[in-house]
Amino acid sequence: MFLYYINFNAKGGFKMKRKVIVALLVSLLIIGFCFTFSCQKKSAQSKIIVAMATDVGGLGDKSFNDGSYNGLLKAKEQFGVEVKVVESKQATDYVPNLSNFAKENAKIVFAVGFLMQDAMMEAAKNNPNTYYAGVDIGVDPATAPSNVLGILFKEQEAGYLAGIVAGLLTSKYSDALPGLNKDNKVGIVLGMDIPPVERYQAGFYAGVKAVNPACEVITIVTNVFNDPAKGKEAALALYEKGCDIVFHIAGLTGNGVFDAAKEKGKYAFGVDVDQNYLNPDVIITSAEKKLTEATFLVVKSVLDGTFQGGTNVTYGLKEGGVGISDFHNFNDKIPQEIKDAIAKAIEDINNGVIIAPATRVEAGYQM
Amino acid sequence: MKEFLALFNIDLLTGTIRLSIPIILASIGATICERSGIVNIAMEGVMIVGAFFSTIFTLATNNPWLGLIAGVTFAMLFSLIHAVASVSLHLDHVVSGAVLNIIALGLTRYLMILIIGHPGTTDLIKTSLQQYKYAIPVLSKIPILGPLFFNQTPIIYITFILVIVITIMMNKTKLGLHIKAAGEHPLALETLGISVAKMRYIAVIMSGFLCGLAGSYLAIENGTSFTEGMTNGRGFIAIAANISGGWTPIGAFLSSLLFGFADSLQFKLQASKIISLPSEVFTMFPYILTIILVAGFVRKSRPPKALGVDFMIEKSN
Repeated sequence: MFLYYINFNAKGGFKMKRKVIVALLVSLLIIGFCFTFSCQKKSAQSKIIVAMATDVGGLGDKSFNDGSYNGLLKAKEQFGVEVKVVESKQATDYVPNLSNFAKENAKIVFAVGFLMQDAMMEAAKNNPNTYYAGVDIGVDPATAPSNVLGILFKEQEAGYLAGIVAGLLTSKYSDALPGLNKDNKVGIVLGMDIPPVERYQAGFYAGVKAVNPACEVITIVTNVFNDPAKGKEAALALYEKGCDIVFHIAGLTGNGVFDAAKEKGKYAFGVDVDQNYLNPDVIITSAEKKLTEATFLVVKSVLDGTFQGGTNVTYGLKEGGVGISDFHNFNDKIPQEIKDAIAKAIEDINNGVIIAPATRVEAGYQM
Repeated sequence: MKEFLALFNIDLLTGTIRLSIPIILASIGATICERSGIVNIAMEGVMIVGAFFSTIFTLATNNPWLGLIAGVTFAMLFSLIHAVASVSLHLDHVVSGAVLNIIALGLTRYLMILIIGHPGTTDLIKTSLQQYKYAIPVLSKIPILGPLFFNQTPIIYITFILVIVITIMMNKTKLGLHIKAAGEHPLALETLGISVAKMRYIAVIMSGFLCGLAGSYLAIENGTSFTEGMTNGRGFIAIAANISGGWTPIGAFLSSLLFGFADSLQFKLQASKIISLPSEVFTMFPYILTIILVAGFVRKSRPPKALGVDFMIEKSN
């Protein structure tokens, strides 16, 4: 109709057209705003919003971010909360992503990943009425605002158990599996050298040394979490050096470690979640951290009103927050002595007889 | 010292080949493209697209060869966008390239959610091109050279052949000379009655073909799955390799090999524990080497005269 009108105004038609277009755009804008505002109000009134911002790894990593997200989904199922998630494309997204949820009236916002530490603190200070919880982020109780909670894991305890398996398999029980050799060396492939990764590594080293002091533990750092080709090259370098088991703490880079293990007929350990299904022929076991359980419990505490900010919660072996996964198809070939050693170590850790070291310095490990 | 010398063994060299292949392919693509006058920084994105589609088709058909064909085809189609934008629509080459890189990341992620159901990493492919490793009789028995060049997987063979073929093409055939002319003096070429636009289209699509091979290599030959952002900057390193190689296929090949060598060496150094340095130093080593190379060699090499210069016959005089 407008077009029809414009066509009949041959003189000054262009001006007319412009006016009409501007008017149309402005009215669209206004209608749009009205809609978004009304929608926001509606959702805010109906349900409690639980939100999560991933780090650059994003959802679908089949380990870290997915694990945390599943905890939120579990809460959605059980308590009927509304779950929102946003993925960060780069480090500069962290603060806006975390802050925007506060504007959307989220009750609690999860920041997933150690790399988001500073961003979470900033967002929490700017939005004092929203709870913030950081997975793998430690907060300093002396300075942290009261709406911030750090969720930490004792990865070193999971690493310690994995280390015991590796240390025993690589020399004492090297006849158990065909790909093991007598070189008495095991390897580690790291993604980035950040505290949670270091905790796994230190624990693993201590575990290996506890059962096999002569064993050589070699680490290669790739400094990247999503480059399988680098992971493969690092693992091949380790296997060529005589390692028969490589423990990867490298996120998606670790997929390349499994490829290398398969190519060389050697073995690998998975990380964060039970990764055996990815490559059942080479993944003997995985050092697990139970992110799903942890984020679920935190959401629960918010709903119960027992959320306690300004501190850290730490999930260890005792709390069921970390552990080692089943041997799956290797189960029959793993000697009973190794299984007994794991059971013993779990008991000792729970009783405080063994304290798995959390840093390389504590473990006495020089990379 | 003895330990250090022991590092220089056949494993180091095979590692070099494995790490260089994607960079070699992409850098030769960059060479062809830039010789035709088109700046192509979209190679990272084209590689990602190639890697993605090769994996998807391999997953669907369980045949890595079909995956390879699909990966290369889609990479060529994707690079065609760059050709249309920069040649036909006369858009700034860098703008088009930068945009394509971002689109590639978003597109693969979007399609992944659509097809696989989640972002991140795909399921593992059951048969990869790695299983088609073939040792050429007699030749593979030559010490050192044998295992390096004659006992390899398909895309690695293809790469070696392409280096030779493209060198000959660029220097000895009409097509190669026309492509070079399009990058040096497009008006002269046009007055001869040969379409500059056509030559530039051909060059960009060729670079798409090569980047598609590079992406497929990462996803279905060296690896067994597609991971978001798995090219991890190799497309940009390839541009540097092309420049320090002096805009020639052989130069690009050699400087890519050097980068792969440095990368391979840093892994072996970490594994051997000879030098104790922060891990970041090892990771930086290949990149620092690249900077030094580019700074050292680039002064001697000269870019094509009409590189990045838009050609429109109506506007040339």
